Amino acid sequence: MSHAQKSRVAAGGKGAAKAKKAAGGKKSENDREDTLQAVILADSFETRFNPFTLERPRCLLPLANTPLIEYTLEFLAMAGVADIFIYCGAHTTAVQSYILSSKWHPSTSAASPFNTLEIVKTTARSVGDALRDLDSRDMITGDFLLVHGDLVSNLPIDEALRNHRDRRIKDKNAIMTMILRAGGLGEHRTKAKGVTPVFVVDPSKNRCVHYEEMHPLQAHKYVDLDEELLKDHKDIEVRTDLIDCGIDICTPDVLALWAESFDYEVPRRHFLHGVLKDYELNGKTIHTEIVDDRYAARVFNLQSYDSVSKDVLGRWTYPLVPDSNLVAGQSYKFERGSLYKENDVMLARTCKAGKKTVLGKGTSVGAGSVVSNSIIGRDCQIGKNVTIKDAYIWDNVSIGDGSNVERAIIANEAVIGKSCKIQPGALISYKVGISDNTEIKPNQRITRAKRKRDADSETEEEVPSDPSIVGPSGHGYEFRDAEEFSDDEEAAFHSSLIYSTQHLNLSNASISTLSSSLSADDEPTGPRSRLSSFTSLSDDGDNEGFHHDAVQGILDTLHEHGDFDSAKLEFMGLRLSNDATDHQIRRAIAVAFSKHISQLVDGEDQKTEASKAAASAFATSGAVQFLKNVALSTGTEEDAVDFLRCLQKDAVNRSSGPLVLAAVCQRLYEEEVVGEEAFLRWWEEAEGMGEDEDVEMMRVRGKTGVFVEWLKEAESESESGSDEESEEESEDE
Amino acid sequence: MPSLQAGYAPNLGFYLKSLKAQPVESSIENLISLLKRRQITNSRPCAVATAHLLLQVVAKFRWTNIDKLIERIQDVGRRLIEAQPREMVVGNIVRRVLGMVRDEAKEERNDDASDSASNSQMGSPRQEHIDQGASHLGGPPPNFSPLRYSTTDDSDSTEANGDDVFGGKTQAASRPPLITSHTSYAPAGGLPPQKSMFQLLSANPSPASSPSGAQSPHNTSNLNATSLSHRLTTSTKDLKAEVIEGIEEIVDELDQADDRIAAQSLEYIHSNEVILTHSSSRSVQKFLLEAAKKRKFTVIIAESYPNDHEATHKSVTRSIKTDAEGTDELTTPKFSKSLSDAGITVILMTDATIFAIMSRVNKVILATHAVIANGGLIAAAGARIIAKAARVHRTPVIVVSGVYKLSPQYPFEFESLIEYGDPGNIVRYQDGALVENLEVDNPVYDYVPPDLVDLYITNIGAHAPSYLYRIVADHYKTEDINFDKPELQ
Repeated sequence: MSHAQKSRVAAGGKGAAKAKKAAGGKKSENDREDTLQAVILADSFETRFNPFTLERPRCLLPLANTPLIEYTLEFLAMAGVADIFIYCGAHTTAVQSYILSSKWHPSTSAASPFNTLEIVKTTARSVGDALRDLDSRDMITGDFLLVHGDLVSNLPIDEALRNHRDRRIKDKNAIMTMILRAGGLGEHRTKAKGVTPVFVVDPSKNRCVHYEEMHPLQAHKYVDLDEELLKDHKDIEVRTDLIDCGIDICTPDVLALWAESFDYEVPRRHFLHGVLKDYELNGKTIHTEIVDDRYAARVFNLQSYDSVSKDVLGRWTYPLVPDSNLVAGQSYKFERGSLYKENDVMLARTCKAGKKTVLGKGTSVGAGSVVSNSIIGRDCQIGKNVTIKDAYIWDNVSIGDGSNVERAIIANEAVIGKSCKIQPGALISYKVGISDNTEIKPNQRITRAKRKRDADSETEEEVPSDPSIVGPSGHGYEFRDAEEFSDDEEAAFHSSLIYSTQHLNLSNASISTLSSSLSADDEPTGPRSRLSSFTSLSDDGDNEGFHHDAVQGILDTLHEHGDFDSAKLEFMGLRLSNDATDHQIRRAIAVAFSKHISQLVDGEDQKTEASKAAASAFATSGAVQFLKNVALSTGTEEDAVDFLRCLQKDAVNRSSGPLVLAAVCQRLYEEEVVGEEAFLRWWEEAEGMGEDEDVEMMRVRGKTGVFVEWLKEAESESESGSDEESEEESEDE
Repeated sequence: MPSLQAGYAPNLGFYLKSLKAQPVESSIENLISLLKRRQITNSRPCAVATAHLLLQVVAKFRWTNIDKLIERIQDVGRRLIEAQPREMVVGNIVRRVLGMVRDEAKEERNDDASDSASNSQMGSPRQEHIDQGASHLGGPPPNFSPLRYSTTDDSDSTEANGDDVFGGKTQAASRPPLITSHTSYAPAGGLPPQKSMFQLLSANPSPASSPSGAQSPHNTSNLNATSLSHRLTTSTKDLKAEVIEGIEEIVDELDQADDRIAAQSLEYIHSNEVILTHSSSRSVQKFLLEAAKKRKFTVIIAESYPNDHEATHKSVTRSIKTDAEGTDELTTPKFSKSLSDAGITVILMTDATIFAIMSRVNKVILATHAVIANGGLIAAAGARIIAKAARVHRTPVIVVSGVYKLSPQYPFEFESLIEYGDPGNIVRYQDGALVENLEVDNPVYDYVPPDLVDLYITNIGAHAPSYLYRIVADHYKTEDINFDKPELQ
């Protein structure tokens, strides 16, 4: 690294950036080796930390009383990065004013180890947008580090950088190196819970050849590997044990790839997955650097907030520990048993400030109180006989006498009254007031953030307090995130089911019921029917994620009597992104329709006749067109038969299956979606199976027999008429 | 510790290189950050960085009177100490520099007085001296050039010369050092302390390292020193040059301390002895290698798992000492032979077997991280077990340490001096169950109380632990001892 450049620190600012850019433009590769650039994605483009992130950006939330971005910047300083670009979306001003007042900005602080630091405000709504924006700005001159603003790491990256360079010299197409921390095969608190990233790596070249994310909502637990991969690579490791800390060493080509594919939103699930998949197309390779030493993790949800906090207190992040006093003005001292105490902490003689606890300056703890495994910020007033366990309490919080806080997060300036009980998982946001003798239920999220009354209104206004939650004299209302479940199952996984393993278990239960209610429809658990599904349609199990999303989408449209035109768009998008086969599409549609109709038929409130239910389903605007264009896009008889078979198979699991099947068949025929040839062929095939046919399947199609008989009669009539006519008919369909 | 290969990660080498070009304030903050991030760790690198930084602080600071300079150094020192209080050498170096500045200032004042008194008598000789001084202080003093460090790296000549300079003291190292030092301290009650300080400094620069002209004022007698001080009255600029020179001498001392210590090794290591040592330390390695030139003996090394075992293994087998300043040009890596190459029988063993083997050991040689005023020491974890085991077997424990590690501080809580490192060295982070359920402590240092130590070998001779307080008194001014804690002053 050139120290002449490093020495320009004080000059800093934009002038230096321009100068460098000019230099970078002229000189080629040799020059670009000189300084290291880094891009911090300070906006997460997620809502997992709601309600806190309503008021503050995630990267400024305190972890062990130090804002998260400090850890990230320390990591970059440790690595010797010279130029930093901080990408902010929401809360840009907050980040800006924080950085300007910190030691990091070269123009305001002599202590900054960076040559330049630029805060880029973007209107991006996803990481992809931000990176595309970065690409268009043309600020990156060489290899750069891409990290998130919530990274906590003490990894030395010199070696990874060197390996990256070596690879790059040998092969221009080695565009990216991901640094991953081995997390062991067993349970690990810092490993991503819920969503498991699966990296398929060729260990001989450290090349990542496939990436997928799995989560418990998914019914099938397989990774789909292209068989080509197995041919091309002698060794392949499938690793689920890696902690993805989001440190990527990228070349500018990475940005170009992002720019090309404008539908990529997130770095892993979209970009990595996509680029690896298109290897044949673009020839770019992505490599991994798996480290099993030192620490690296992201605080990407509340669960990881909890686990990384524990890691920091357990000194795994050494030297990024509280008693290193990384931020100016901190004065933490380490005492035996991992008690980190700042100066001017007032502890009553009879209180117990236990192990693994952090106490910030100006905090006082009253007599008889017990604090353990907790992090308490500055200037907090903890009353007498208070019990605080596993809790995260930020600055200026006051907690009244006799209260009990367990496994909760209490944000700045919150006031908890006397004898309150804060149950595990509660999130109490900024300035919330809880009146005396109130109990906050587990996982309750309370905020005072202003919000828009409805989606259309421009101004944000205060929301009246909800006395049933915060007590008569309290301030705050329960926060509900409307989008969270419908939007993305994964998001629900990260944000709502808070941060403790305890909750996670609880959530697991709910997930398993959820998934069983979904997958039981299409993948019955009985051994017999499973067998049948194997024999009939062997690729049923594939792409469960797609199936699940697709079924959900269509069901929503049906339920709401929505417009199938928009549903179709969504559906096709889903299909493309998941690379679903035609059969999977048909199956999804069949399941959705049969489920909807049978729900109407079995509805608890009012029972509907099967035929009426089917009619109402098909009456939804665009439904028929949708079926014709999407489910039976090719219009061939095979597809129609396949679709019917899917319907039949799904009906097996419905209590009113036979009725539903018959009604749907009738509708399909009436709406001219499926032609009679297809019906007849389907029927014959089923009949032809004779003894081999599954009992259930036979039972289900029983009721449809009448319809088929009628069809046959009709056909023989028309057949006697003319052959051509029937041919025309089939062509129409 | 961060990797030390040439990369982007800053380390001591980078830091020293950046010092010249950066504004002082950035350098100070930079060092603070490096200390906080533990990118400069261990006594010597910290001491070297501090000394070089103070050199820049003094050189670039505009001051009109000496008190301002002292304030400035105190301020910088306070911030550095706060950044990493457990690296006690930082404070030691700051105090040494402060003490030196005070000496120079006092001399200046004395000479002012004597000057006016003896003005008439000394008319012409003084004039001569001023001329001489002007000729050699007109520009930056010849010493003030980074080049001279590289000349000091010529280790052979340094050692040889070191012996010469050291001559009298080295020969008498076993017993007489007490006396020699007494001769300098005994009258200290009456004399201003700067005299002994001065001697100390004058003993340090090796003839090889500095151009002959530069050190002549030091090696000469008091008379010469007083005449030298006449020059200082001319302007603060000269005083500044003196201070800078003084700091450079401290830097030299840091550089040569190990060689000075090694030069005494034959006094303590005899043929066919079995010596137990612990962890990897450049001082100890040089000490042993020096003795191995003439004698055959056996060394048992306890590997000091988990923080230092890799370095320990390397010190046995590899010839390059991968110390923190490995990449540092200014203190070039010393290509010393590995212990086994030098013909020493080396036995490596785990720390747990120390007690079992102690009965066969003739001598224990320990390296230190810091020495405290009471004679106790802070050393790599495991040192206390060794010292205790040695005590049980009545095996003598010798501690090898440069004087710069000797701290005037006397903490009441030894616990506060012990750094807790990365538990990942003990338990692999991958092991989720252990990480979740255990508290893993990894103390990096141990405190060894003075009664477990028999002898300290420093670069100015060998001393009993109970005698260290005198050396402290000699090296540090009382007013500087607690300069970083205003409440104790």
